[in-house]
Amino acid sequence: MPRTAGVNSSALFVLYSYFIMFARSSNRIFNVINTSYIPSRGARAWVRKPLGSPMAKSKLFRIPPKKILPADEKAEIKRLYDNYFHHMKSLRQYFFEQSLKQAESGEVAQMKHKLEDEEHMKLMEENCLENEKTAKLREERLKVQAEKTRASVLASLIMKEEESRLHEIQIEAFLEQQKATPFIQTENIEKAIEEALANPFDPNFAIDLDGYVYRRRETSIGKIPEEARERMSSI
Amino acid sequence: MASAIPTLSKIGKSIRLNKHGCVNRPFYHIVVQKTRDNFDGPVIEQVGSYDAMPNSQNEKLVAVNFERVQYWIGQGAELSGPVAQLLGLSGFLPIHPTTVIQSWRNRREPPRERKLQPIKGVAPPLDNPKI
Repeated sequence: MPRTAGVNSSALFVLYSYFIMFARSSNRIFNVINTSYIPSRGARAWVRKPLGSPMAKSKLFRIPPKKILPADEKAEIKRLYDNYFHHMKSLRQYFFEQSLKQAESGEVAQMKHKLEDEEHMKLMEENCLENEKTAKLREERLKVQAEKTRASVLASLIMKEEESRLHEIQIEAFLEQQKATPFIQTENIEKAIEEALANPFDPNFAIDLDGYVYRRRETSIGKIPEEARERMSSI
Repeated sequence: MASAIPTLSKIGKSIRLNKHGCVNRPFYHIVVQKTRDNFDGPVIEQVGSYDAMPNSQNEKLVAVNFERVQYWIGQGAELSGPVAQLLGLSGFLPIHPTTVIQSWRNRREPPRERKLQPIKGVAPPLDNPKI
């Protein structure tokens, strides 16, 4: 078993090195998702060494020398890059503005503007016509309305006059009636008092179950003469 | 340091070189791509090309559609290093710092033998008929 395993692993190593060389045919081995790595003749894509693969044995103990830049060179490089990016930033903005200007001044844009203007003029004319039409309609409507209002105001005025006239008549009648009523005046108050004392009035009365009415203090049917008996008719 | 220039929003697109050509014959397309797409992936627009191999006149030819590059930079597309260097050398953008740094390092280094002699002034035609 171990022997066969060893054989297998060496075979795998050979395969592995083969696929490093022809990386484009190895998308399944390296789990490359992009299907455009399908093998084709011509240029071959560079493919990263798989994760966890060891460092090459020949490079294992190699310590690459660290590149040391002198401080003045470093500062100069920084200055150059700063300047470059600063220029690029403003150039980018300038190009952006240029593109906007071009979009405005192009033949297609001008055509579009012209069409839009024509459309606007047409719509404005239509709007004017519509406004005139509505103004005419409104005028007619307002005229009719004013006529109606005048008539209704007149009618209401006439009605009010009539009402006030009737009211005056009623008041006059009431005054006549009041004047006609015999009120007790200060001159004849003595006489009225004497008269009232001379004719006492008792408003009490009673009714028995047969419907006979007993005026004043008289409560016995035998004391009232036959012709003077008062009886309430049954409903 | 606060700047008066407003920062454009990043649109996740970059102008970069896509390698074409074949073995020992590099040729690049300058393209606009989504930053996460690789060179197999979809290309939004090709804005130029770069022939990295010198021709018979000892010239490396670059073709750039500056209008479109301007448009895309204005939209907020990022520039890859090589493209920024090419555009700087062409005079369209400021010189990229890498060009300057490389040049002073080259000057400082002791001269070494090269396949091609460095070009000075107008490039002379090459002697090598293969190139």
